[in-house]
This record gives sequence, C-alpha cells and structure tokens, in this order.
Amino acid sequence: MPGRKVLMDFEVTPDSHSLAAYRARGGYQALEKALRTMQPREVTQEIVDSGLQGRGGAAFPAGRKWQGIDPDDGQPHYLIANADEGEPGTFKDRWVLEYNPHALLESMLLASYALGVRHAFVYIRGEYDIPWRRLDAAVEEAYGEGLFGEDILGSGFSCDLFVFRGAGAYVCGEASSLLGSIEGSRAYPRNRPPRMTVRGLYQAPTVVNNVETLATIAWILRNGAAAFRAIGTERSPGTRLISVSGHIRNPGVYEVELGYSWAKFLHEDCGGLLCNKPLKAVIPGGISSQVLTGKDAKVLTAEEVECLTLDHEKLRSAGSSLGSGGMIVIAEGTCMVRLLQIMLRFYHHESCGQCTPCREGTGWMHRVIDRIVAGEGRPEDIDTLHHVARYNDGTTICGLGDAAGYAATAMLDNFRDEFEYFIEHGRSKFGGNLECR
Amino acid sequence: MPVMFINDQPVDTGEHRTVLQVALANGFYVPHFCWHPELSIVGNCRVCVVEQEGRGVGIACNMPVAEGLRIQTESEPVRAQRKAMLQFILLNHPVDCGICDKAGECTLQDYHYAYNGAPALSHEPKLHSTKFFPLSERIILDNERCILCSRCVRFTREISKSNVLGMEQRGDGMRVRPVEDRTLDDDPYSDNVIDLCPVGALLSRSFQYQARVWYLEPTASVCPGCARGCTVQLWHRRHEWRLKGLDGSHNERILRVTPLENPRVNGAWICNKGRDLGALFGRPRAGQALLKGRPVLLAEAIDAARRLVRGAGRRVALVSSWGSNEELRAFRNALADRFTSFVKADHRPGEGEVVEDDLLIRADKNPNTHAAQALFGNAPADIPDDTELVLVWGEGADFSTLPRGAKIVHLGAWLQPENGYADVFIPISIQTERHGHYTSFEGVVSAFEPCQRRPEGVIDAETLFPLLAAPPGSDT
Amino acid sequence: MKHLIPEFEHLKKRLPPGHDATLLVPCLRRVQEDRGFIADSDIDGLVEYLGVPRIQIEEVLSFYGMLRRAPIGRWHLQVCHNVSCSMRGAERLLDDLTGRLGIQPGETTPDRRFTLSTVECLGSCGTAPVLMVNEAYHENLSAADLDALLERLD
Repeated sequence: MPGRKVLMDFEVTPDSHSLAAYRARGGYQALEKALRTMQPREVTQEIVDSGLQGRGGAAFPAGRKWQGIDPDDGQPHYLIANADEGEPGTFKDRWVLEYNPHALLESMLLASYALGVRHAFVYIRGEYDIPWRRLDAAVEEAYGEGLFGEDILGSGFSCDLFVFRGAGAYVCGEASSLLGSIEGSRAYPRNRPPRMTVRGLYQAPTVVNNVETLATIAWILRNGAAAFRAIGTERSPGTRLISVSGHIRNPGVYEVELGYSWAKFLHEDCGGLLCNKPLKAVIPGGISSQVLTGKDAKVLTAEEVECLTLDHEKLRSAGSSLGSGGMIVIAEGTCMVRLLQIMLRFYHHESCGQCTPCREGTGWMHRVIDRIVAGEGRPEDIDTLHHVARYNDGTTICGLGDAAGYAATAMLDNFRDEFEYFIEHGRSKFGGNLECR
Repeated sequence: MPVMFINDQPVDTGEHRTVLQVALANGFYVPHFCWHPELSIVGNCRVCVVEQEGRGVGIACNMPVAEGLRIQTESEPVRAQRKAMLQFILLNHPVDCGICDKAGECTLQDYHYAYNGAPALSHEPKLHSTKFFPLSERIILDNERCILCSRCVRFTREISKSNVLGMEQRGDGMRVRPVEDRTLDDDPYSDNVIDLCPVGALLSRSFQYQARVWYLEPTASVCPGCARGCTVQLWHRRHEWRLKGLDGSHNERILRVTPLENPRVNGAWICNKGRDLGALFGRPRAGQALLKGRPVLLAEAIDAARRLVRGAGRRVALVSSWGSNEELRAFRNALADRFTSFVKADHRPGEGEVVEDDLLIRADKNPNTHAAQALFGNAPADIPDDTELVLVWGEGADFSTLPRGAKIVHLGAWLQPENGYADVFIPISIQTERHGHYTSFEGVVSAFEPCQRRPEGVIDAETLFPLLAAPPGSDT
Repeated sequence: MKHLIPEFEHLKKRLPPGHDATLLVPCLRRVQEDRGFIADSDIDGLVEYLGVPRIQIEEVLSFYGMLRRAPIGRWHLQVCHNVSCSMRGAERLLDDLTGRLGIQPGETTPDRRFTLSTVECLGSCGTAPVLMVNEAYHENLSAADLDALLERLD
C-alpha cells in the first residue's frame, strides 16, 4: 500500500458513495463544527496551515489562493470546482466524483463558508456521464437534507450549488477559460492581470480549485491541519491521487502518500510493466498537467524514475512535476515519434485559437510530425519543432501552447535518435509500435 | 504622477493604465495588431511584447503601469519573440501583397519589414480558407489573409453593437463569420471594420482594385451627411501622380472616404453614409447659369438676380443648411437686411436610412443647421402669399409650394429639373471645391479643404452674395 | 425547445439572479439530448428565452466539440485515440470498426444506424481502450466485447 489515505480511506462498496455511508464514516461533521464554532477566516487559516497544494497541475498553495479573497468585502464571491478533467492520462477526479462525491460537496460547503460564497459551481467535463450522475445524485441528497440552500443547519449560512456540464473543450480545464463557458460564451483563457480572485466569474472575485484539492478540505477540517501535515513530506504534505495508465499491469487510480518511492509504486503497487518489458519512460503528470504553466509533464526516462520519490519538490528538481497526477507508463519498444504525433494532434485539435503562437504553432508542429511519420521527414524538421516549441513557451495566455511545446521538446531531447532514425530511414525504429506486445 | 522607465528613460505614466499606452504616448513604438484604443483588451496577437526588467517578456497591452517599472522595448529577447510571432502570423498568410488593396498601408507588411524580414521557416503547404466571402453589399472577407485579431468582431460587439460578426470553429480552423440570419448590411457603421483590419482581410467592394494606395492622398473634410459633422479624409490621386491620359474627373475622383480621428466629434469612426460621399459629391453638376431655363453667361444671370433683389417687394430667402460658416456670414453681411430669412433643411432622411442612433447618426441630415440657425433663427419657413421674390439657396425646397406670383432666384450646385423652372439660376460650388467650416449640432467647428477644381461657370456662394447686393450693372 | 422551458426555469433556481446566459450551454445540451441535434428554431428560441445575441450562440456551437447542428446516426460510436488508449489497442479497435461498418471516422452508415468518430481523451485511460456509445462508456473493450456490443445496438 502506497502510504496513508485521505480520500480513499474507506472500502468501496455498491453504496459507499451515498450520503448515509459518507455520514457513517464521519462525513459532514467538519461542516457542522465549522458552522457552529469557527469564523470563515479560521477555516481559511486551517487550510493555509495544512500546506495543501493544488492538485490540478500547478501545485499552488490552496490556502494562499483563498487568502486572495476578502470574505467581508461586500461583493459576491464564487467558488468553482474544476472537474473538467481532460488531461490525457488523468482520471483521478473521476474517482472522487464516482466514489466519494460527498467529500467534494462537504468541502465545497466549507470553502464557500470560508470565502463568503453564496453560489458555487462544479464544472464537470461534458463527456463524463456516470461521474455526473453520481455527483448529481449526491447533490440532490444533500439538498434533501438541507445541506445546501437557505440557512444550512440553522447556521444562517446559505449556499447553492450548480453542476455545470461542459460540452467538449479541453481548454476549459484552464481555470479562467471555464469562466467563459459558465458565462455562456466561447471558453477563452483570460489574460492576467486581473487574477481571478480579483475579477473572475461575472467579474466578481472567484476561486477555482481542482476537485481533488477541494475534496481534501473536509478531511483537513475534520482531522486538523497538523494531522494533514503529518502525512507526506515536509514541503509536499498529504497524498495525491495518481491515475496510472499505459503499459502497466494494474492501471487505475491510487492514493499515494507524497514522498513514496516511485520504483516501489510502479513495480509493486501497480504490478510492474506489461509483458515484463523494461521501462522506457514515464509521463508523470498528464501530458501537459491540466494546461497550467510550469515545466510539467516532462517525460522521465527509466533511470530517472528508479531513484525518485513521488512529491512535488523532487519531481520539480528532476525538471518535471506530478502535474495532474496522470501517470503514463511507457515500455521499451514503443515508438516515441508516434506518441508525440498523438500528443501534437491533440494540442492542435484543442487549441482554442485565441493566441497566435499556439493557434499557428500547434498546427505547424502537427503537420511537421505527420510528415515525418509519413516517411517524408527532413533533417531540419527537428530544429523547426524546437523553434516552434521554444516560442510557444510562455508566449500565450494559458499553458496549452506551452504544454505542446514541452511535449515536443521533452521527446526530442530524450529520444532524438528515434526522430533522426525516422527522418533518415522514412520509418520507425520500433515499427511504429504503440502497444506492448 | 507615477514615473516609470522605458529603455532607461524616465517617462510620466500620466492617465495611462497600461505599458503599451505609456510607450506609444511617449514615442516608443511597440508594434501591435489586436490592441486598439477604442476596443477591449484581448491580448491575442502576442506581438506587443516588451521586457519588464527582472520579470521577463510579456505583452504590453495588458501590463499595468507601476511606479518605478523598468521596461525595455527593443531588447534581444523582445526582438526574438516578436520575430517569432510574425513568423507564426505569416505561417498561413498568403502573402499576396501584389494583388491586395491593403498593400502600402498594411500593418503586417510594415511589421514584417521592420521586425522580421526573414524568409519563412516553414516549408509546409499553407492552409487554405475562403476568399471573397461576402459580408455585405459593401464588404468582402478574405479569410486567408485574416490574422484573427478579432478587432472587427469586437467592433460590432462593443461599438456598433450590431452583433453581426463572430468567430466560428477554434484553433487554426477559426474564422470570422457573420451571424447566419443577417449580413453586415444591418450595421450602419460596418465599413469601420475595413479601417480596423490591420491586414487586407476586410475589403471595401467599392474600392476594390480601384487604386494602389501609394498613388493616393487624403484631403481633410467634414461629412455633410448629418449634424454630427464627423471629420473625414477624402482620398484621391496624389497631385504628382495625376495621369494626363485620364480626364480631369478621373484624376480628381474621390476613391474612398475614411474617418479623420477626432476625439471631440466622432472619435475613430464614421457611418457608412460618410463612406459614400464620393457618390454624393459625384452627382451630375450644374455648370450653366440659366434665365427661365435659357442658358446665359454667369454675369448676365447675376445681373438679373440683382434686379430682382432690388426691384421686388416682399422678399424671402431660404438659407441653405449646407452653407459653410463663411458663406452664411457672407449672406448675412451682404443680403440679410433685404430678406426675411428662414433656414431650410436641404436634405431629409432618405428611404432606408438610419434616422438617428446613440453612436453618431443624427436626425438632422444637414451639416450646418446649428450655424445657420444661430444667424437666422429656427422659425419654420412662413412665406406670405404676396411674396414677390424667393431666393432659394441649395437643395430641398419644393418649388410647387412657393407663392405663384413670386419670382425665384435659385442658387444650386446640382443638375436638377427645377433649375430651369427658376427665373434665375446660378450654379454654385460644392464643399470639395473650397475651404470652409461647419459647426456641428454640439457647436464644434471643423474645417474642410478643397480637393477638386471648381468647374468652369460655377461661382462660390461666398463670392456671389456681395455681388448680388451690388446695384445692377456693377462689375461681377 | 419551448417545452423544455419549465426545466430551464427549474435550473435557474440554483443560479445567482441576472446571469441567464449561464444557461446557454446547459440549454443547448438539453435541446440536443431531446432532438438529437440543435436546430435553427432552437437557436431562435434561445435567443428569445435567454436574451443573448444569436452570434453568441453560433460562436458557442462551433467551439464545443459535443454540440452539433445536424442529425447523426442512432448510435454515435466515439473511439478515444489519445495516448493511453492508443497504447492499449485503440488503433486496432478503430480499424476493426471502420472495417465492420464500412465507414471512416466522421461518417454515418447509409442506414443511419451508426456514426463513427474519433475523440480525444475521455478519462478512461486506466480502462483503455474505450468506446463511447452515445452517453455510455464501454471500457476495456476487447474484440469479443465489440462483437457483442454491436449486436445489441440496432
């Protein structure tokens, strides 16, 4: 078992996602305690003290984000749970929505209380059907017991929750762009300044947190910041939900205590690689870490993985990050050129089209790699890809363009020989293999 | 006032809120496509990059000013990033400047020469899109040239509020498109998007392939289309580029009209009526003085008019609301004491014309009613039946309503049937043939300059009025 | 679309007042669920109901991948072909489908029974490959599973 649990600290049964089951394991006690005995700022302080970092990709301290909002400034404030989980390789929030939805709802109530929020939203990606049904049922259960609506638990605190289903746009995972979606327009990422905590949804101060980040709040309030800090490492407290996929024997969502040995996790907890092949590379945190900036999702080679632990600072020092917790395991014998082709096709398909470098650059890189894979590569293509990637780095409003560039750069840097081989011979060094067979 | 530093020089930030505004106001040019002072900030072209010392390169259009901020506009990282952005913009741009009306005044062309200049890095085939897409009877769209800065979309959303234009699809498949159930004809300000377009994507049908802009020059003028008095530029061939092989009218034709930016009156915009001044001024001119329809010399007509002005009993003048301030004063000084004067509306709203709106268009379709009424009052015309002489200056008078026994002296510029009905007809010059000023309904005085020669046989009203006041037989 | 207005009114109760445009995407989804696609008359109805300019609705419609303005086959088969699914057989699954149905992604069978599409990551990476049939995910899909599944879809 990869360490202690926060979100998966119960046995999944056919009805463990129900309100009754959640209550039976101590659910909504933190809410009662907070509403009865705590001031909103004390709730925020508890989160600051816990050292909780965002789980969406950027690992920004959640409490510090909350402190950007003054609950008493007389304006409306909004809270949005970002459940637009579209990062390739990432399916951890789906687990929370399907199996522990009330942890999210209780946490959102606590956050709303702390931030002076009257109307909260869950922005759930449009394709998620079962997760939405589970969440929707949980919301109705909670409304049925007076946990949402007017005067919650007789405290005078009122809060409504609207579950907003997206309609198929990866870029909505970027926090500012889903605001546009909720406002009924195209989901364009927004320029900062202003920060969303200054001007967000409907031009009002807004906090957008990832589902996993939010869902952890209830545990922290129930058990205290100190208990949370006792888990994980000093600078990366708590756990992460890691969704593992690719050439791995036991793919799925795992809760991993931060600081856990990566090699142990892969080879023991996840059962090792398929077909007993050696490890070639790992994409640690979703192919771009939820469109957030930072050198996320850099591909790690097998040697790098063997000596790493799973926590934010170790990965950052290795030039990568835990990102969105979407870990893709790649076995020897896989064609990295074709993998990059898929990634670049994805970014091209999902670019919102707003900023010049991403709009033009993602398509440019896609066409170049398509040509390489078609056997018509030219030696200068590698430099071209580097150039486009370089000028997508930090030149756009959101991180989608950056991520496309990082994917290309990481693959080219680590597996340049495969690209050169493909260009020189007009075919893949590994027969174009993507599967582990 | 906060002070910041651009390229190590201290500058006052003044009232400006962004680094781009401060830089432009202080003479540090920072290239930009999507930013426009009258439109919201979208920051999508990514060309207006500057370096903030210690924080790296960012877009200036959305960078707030701050005390002590240190900005470099020409540092190496800035140049490199700008150049890369231009290469992205040109990636799928057809670079068909040779057949593009925008060539010569194209921002992309200018920036390419100033900040890039390198051949394309890409050898991929260019993406194709729609060309000659009709947005309206007036405007066509070339989606291949479009760089998706969204200025035109924002204009129809934020300024004209017609909400006709939008973006469809996403990524590099994104295209500007009109809403499906309407065209840009529904927007009386639509032609402003042609000026706003930094490239040759939005083109005027009437100007298409008419001229290379470097052969043209503008003359400052005032739109006479309504009482707003928008300042405009009338574009015609440059003097030095006049072609002997062409007749005079071709060399002098007004080929297009653009706004002359003017914060006191029209800001950066004009309406479509103003764009069509070429046609308004290009109507068939009257160049022949007439006595009851009989061609006479100008001097003969003036003398006949003098006799009527002196000889007639009750005299009424219908004063033109298209007369310039100078002409109106000349009339008052020379002739006002001989006439009971009323200000006439030369033009009324035409069929289908927007009568009035909240942006620029005024219900009074005459440029100088304000000045005319200041001199001659605003009473409606009341012409007694025993009137013996009516002086009709300009258009808009219905001759059939004038008293039957009254003689008519008509001063007009256009070839019209009533010219021959008048007892005396004297052809006068139009706005494009003389200097002058109009006073807008808000009292703002704007000047217009001549750009066309006055035809033979035509006289300026300002010259004419003192002549009419002189005794018959005097010099003309 | 008009018959759905009571449902929309119900949704409004949990929204802050004065932000009706927020209902645009939810309304479009609901209309599509009801009719199978979004018709011009639905757009007109929403212009009136939500008070948003028509251009805004058109812009939204072409931005989001799930919204469509024309009917498709009865069963919409969407194969994820992103990284994790491709590593677990998505390309074979897609080949299998194009072979059996005789259509390419983006096309509909002549009997209008199936429309085939490719789609980017559906969040089923751990249960790859995945085929989305209308709203439902079919995960860990083997060739044998596909046989049985297609049988059931008439």
